[in-house]
Amino acid sequence: MTGGHRRILVVEDDPETAGQLVEQLTTSGYQVDLAANGNEALSQGAASDYAVITIDRMLPDIDGITVMRQLRDDGVAAPVLIISALGEVDDRVRGLRAGGDDYLVKPFSFVELLARVEALGRRSDTIVKETILRVGDLAVDLVSRTASRRGKDIVLFPREFQLLEYLVRNEGRVVSRAMLLRHVWDLHFDPSTNIIDVYVGRVRRKVDGQQAYPLIHTVRGIGYCLRAPG
Amino acid sequence: MLLAKTLRSTTFKLALIAIGTFGLIVSAILSYVYLSTSSYVRSRSDRAIMTEYLSLQGAYQQSGREGLIALLRQRIADTSFADNIYLLVDPSLVALAGNLSEWPSTVTAARGWTEFRAPEPLPGATTLPLLRAMLETFPNGDRLLVGRDITDLDSFADHIKTAVISLAALIFVLAGMASILVTRRTVGRIEAINATSRAIMLSGLDKRIPLRGTNDEWDRVAENLNLMLDRIETLMGEVKQVSDNVAHDLRTPLTRMRGRLEKAYHGPRVGEQDQALIGDTIADLDAVLRIFSSLSRIAQIETAARKGGFRSVNLTEIAGEVVELYDAAAEQDGTRLTIVGDSEVLVTGDRDLIFDAIANLVDNAIKHGRAGGQVVVANENIDGKPVISIADDGPGIPAHQYEHVFKRFYRLEHSRYTPGNGLGLSLVSAVARLHGARIELLDNSPGLKLRLWFSEPTS
Repeated sequence: MTGGHRRILVVEDDPETAGQLVEQLTTSGYQVDLAANGNEALSQGAASDYAVITIDRMLPDIDGITVMRQLRDDGVAAPVLIISALGEVDDRVRGLRAGGDDYLVKPFSFVELLARVEALGRRSDTIVKETILRVGDLAVDLVSRTASRRGKDIVLFPREFQLLEYLVRNEGRVVSRAMLLRHVWDLHFDPSTNIIDVYVGRVRRKVDGQQAYPLIHTVRGIGYCLRAPG
Repeated sequence: MLLAKTLRSTTFKLALIAIGTFGLIVSAILSYVYLSTSSYVRSRSDRAIMTEYLSLQGAYQQSGREGLIALLRQRIADTSFADNIYLLVDPSLVALAGNLSEWPSTVTAARGWTEFRAPEPLPGATTLPLLRAMLETFPNGDRLLVGRDITDLDSFADHIKTAVISLAALIFVLAGMASILVTRRTVGRIEAINATSRAIMLSGLDKRIPLRGTNDEWDRVAENLNLMLDRIETLMGEVKQVSDNVAHDLRTPLTRMRGRLEKAYHGPRVGEQDQALIGDTIADLDAVLRIFSSLSRIAQIETAARKGGFRSVNLTEIAGEVVELYDAAAEQDGTRLTIVGDSEVLVTGDRDLIFDAIANLVDNAIKHGRAGGQVVVANENIDGKPVISIADDGPGIPAHQYEHVFKRFYRLEHSRYTPGNGLGLSLVSAVARLHGARIELLDNSPGLKLRLWFSEPTS
């Protein structure tokens, strides 16, 4: 995300959680406003232009999803991240994700939260027009669906290519395992095994094996980040 | 106590309403019978009196007082008119002719119908008879009374009335008694069920409702309630087992974390050490949270809140994606993971959940199969039913353990130290139940073959 549009509205009634969220997001360069309940959220949300709004699902006055719907009715288009202590096996969650909004289950790691917020904020950014994406000496051809490093082809299965493409499109940003499952496999639940790591491990061997420098980096406890050195 | 309950019970109240309605109808019918019978009998008698009155009146008009007196004497002598009562008096009420000795003092009307008690008993009777008569006052003040003894008629009506009332009363009493008996029996059975329920609430789930062996509907109810209690008892046992296991599985990492933090709290701050300690603690916390998520996920699937997301999906396609996802893991393990079978096996279901279930099964097969062995995922339509089977060639599961492996946190002895939390198959079983699918465990000799029999897809 670029430019001055890094303003976030956090709707959270627990003071400690709210404090942590504000601190973390501020540290990551966001300008953060806080609303402690649904009504405040409605007035603040309509008053300013936010890049992303995070809403706790269980607020003292109005249900978080209702707040979100109300904001939409009021013409607020900012993507919403619903944060909830309730589980994920719910059609409403699926509806949220299909609608471009997101859902995060409590407790969560801040790295995961940041990754989701970044991804949501980017939603409105301009779509990449190039057909070949480059990171360092890696080239990913979106038309022929092939990848190469220093001109040498990397043999990838279609799903492996999709994974690499997603990482490249999110160059320099943390991508969580849940985000990978969602965007590469279209699965809407958090993995309970290390299966993603094993899968990424294989892609990484193909991409980074016998190269001058690694591109795919593990972010401990969260997922991965693809970036060029320097 | 039982009687009080009987009288309060709904059955009894309904019975009372039924008896009341029925009784009213019966009373109405009997009253109608009574009224129509008595009015028929009375009208016959009235007609006879009227006929006689008209002929006597005619005689008076034709031949005057003397003619009437002569006719009256003739009538009294004639036995075929023995039932009739006659009296003709002059204006000062002195009897001129008739078989009644004097003008009854209660009769004052000039003409028309009257009923009265005779001043003296009729010959051969002891009681004063009830008479019904037609009166006439002639222009010269003479008064004529023509009547009949209606005592019998009256007592006949009385008999009918008594019969009707007693019959109605008898019906009420019998029906009342019958409903008390029936209700009492019902209340007795319900009371037995209530008593058992109270005992269960007070002491525990080991009590059962006694059966009477009559094989009636009450025994059916008791049987079903007992079956339900059995089920609840089993579930309670499982819940206890699960909470024990949750406690154990959570206590272990929590104890580790607590110990680590306590030691660090009392020790000196060492930047690098602290960093590692915090990292380890977060990892342990994540493990605990994963157990929580798995449990709540299984619970949510079990409450079947997700059938709305069901659509037609291709089992082969989902299995193919799972196999692709696990290909790397299998490769790492030296396991050969293959997929065989039909290219289209359609089921009605939730893609995410089916994916999760198959993923868990493949994960298990790779983990618990033989290192360097093979895992085969097969999709086929058997007798029109979509079936997916996952087979490994590892040590397998002893047949007597089959029923236990789907319990939450259940882990076979030899797999206690492989990674996992014993929730995978519980999730599979929850997903299968939501989809109405049957799980079959087979000996793959060697190894284990698990089959999921889905129901035929709904179009």
